[in-house]
Amino acid sequence: MTFTQPAVRRGPSAALSQGLVLAWRSLIPLRNSPGQLVGLLVQPVFMIVVFVYLFGGATGDRADVVAYMVPGVLVQVSLIATIGTGMNLATDIGNGVFDRFRTLPIARSAPLTGRILADLAALLITIVTSLVVGYAVGFRVTTGPLGVLGAIGLVLLMALALSWGSAWLGLVAKTVSSMQGMATAVLLPLTFGSSAFVPATGMPGWLVWWMGVNPVSHLASALRGLLGGGLRVADVWITHGWTAALMALFVPLAVRAYARRVR
Amino acid sequence: MTYAIEAEGLVKRYGDKTALDGVGLRAETGSVLGVLGPNGAGKTTTVRVLATLAVPDAGHARVGGHDVTREPTRVRELIGLTGQYASVDEKLTGAQNLRLIGRLLGLSRADARARASELLARFGLEEAAARAAGGYSGGMRRRLDLAASLVGRPRVLFLDEPTTGLDPRARGELWDVVGELTADGVTVLLTTQYLEEADRLADDLLVIDQGRVAAAGTPAELKAMAGGHRLDVRPLRPDDVEKAEALLGVSACDGALTVPVHDLSEPPALLRALDDAGIVLAEHALRLPSLDDVFHTLTGDRR
Repeated sequence: MTFTQPAVRRGPSAALSQGLVLAWRSLIPLRNSPGQLVGLLVQPVFMIVVFVYLFGGATGDRADVVAYMVPGVLVQVSLIATIGTGMNLATDIGNGVFDRFRTLPIARSAPLTGRILADLAALLITIVTSLVVGYAVGFRVTTGPLGVLGAIGLVLLMALALSWGSAWLGLVAKTVSSMQGMATAVLLPLTFGSSAFVPATGMPGWLVWWMGVNPVSHLASALRGLLGGGLRVADVWITHGWTAALMALFVPLAVRAYARRVR
Repeated sequence: MTYAIEAEGLVKRYGDKTALDGVGLRAETGSVLGVLGPNGAGKTTTVRVLATLAVPDAGHARVGGHDVTREPTRVRELIGLTGQYASVDEKLTGAQNLRLIGRLLGLSRADARARASELLARFGLEEAAARAAGGYSGGMRRRLDLAASLVGRPRVLFLDEPTTGLDPRARGELWDVVGELTADGVTVLLTTQYLEEADRLADDLLVIDQGRVAAAGTPAELKAMAGGHRLDVRPLRPDDVEKAEALLGVSACDGALTVPVHDLSEPPALLRALDDAGIVLAEHALRLPSLDDVFHTLTGDRR
């Protein structure tokens, strides 16, 4: 015999609203346990204190240090935060929550879009916190609202591209900790081995070369220009180029790994 | 045709391991089908295929008349799954978990809230409603899991070892829920390792072993397959167990021996033989076969 049930909504608008419901679900823990929200806020504070006062305190003028370090910290915390996308996906897969979603008549894409939307929202909180803490230690935006929006947009896009990479790792990894290990192994040299915190001058040749190619160097440099003036437009284009290349690489990989998981 | 679940020739391989090797089954609408089998027999894989979580390599299955491979979304509109796999979000409260599913199924905010309250009340979780599910006890978690699978009022419910690890009271409560659901016409497929549970709940049984159906039928039919009476004996002295094994031609399990009896004149003769051999018995009993005996007969006692 054939059963029929009240029609379940389909199509792109249903898929989007299901994605939003799942994004809501991913953000609830921030409200349920204030500890998690504090964790989200503490990282930018900690990084700015470490880099401005601890590492930056020894050399040069405080205002110069702040102007250099705050955009660097903004980039670092944003890109490191993308590890969360894959970790959360791997967690959902490991403990069966993902399979629960798969037995529901919802759009196949909804769990993935929900995850990425939630992570972008959390990232926005991190970025705004970094700017506020930066302001408190003396960082001033000298360009204007468009510069700020441009800077946030640029770092969000790069983070989005890396989130797809993170999602891919989370979907293929056997365990949460192996996913975290792989992502950290890629992101630490990428963020710290850049000119985000220290200019390349006076470094050994191979390191200067690496810092020059490293997209994070260009992203940090573009952010300094967008927030503090003296923008080199080439940095924006190079960053966009890398973002596009990472998207072109990771989106198909993640979508394929995802399709294999959800069919 | 009134089968809510039908499957034929299901084959599922993981690498070079064959989890399902031609499983077929049928469950009538509103009935309870119990799937029995030792660990690794293929029970969970069967449920995963029927609940659209795994694609079979061969064979086909229909749930509520819809093919699980070709129309998975149609099937998902009809089913609920509770088990070792589908689970709740530990970081969300009980109420949030249920509201989340209601919202995903297209209920309005208010309807999702009402449905969540209704289910929380039904499963005695009202007091825990505002606590994170990660802090629930095993029994509460299982009840929340079951409530989550009922949000969409499924017509077909899969319960994968729903009472494993539950205390007898919690198990009894779950049995009551299954009874209520089938009274409403819901079809339930339940895997279990507890023969008592299968005997109590299931209208029909399927014994799976090594990815194949070892037997199918009603509990009464399966018991009939195991033949007539059973004589259970337990030697008083552990040293005598081996001697008793040799004498009766069966192997002992936990110091007790079970002999199939074909003729009621056999037991006195067997007991006399044991007595003549100087084997003192701590207990002996004559009884009808249980599902345990069926299970052991069919699966070769590899538990």
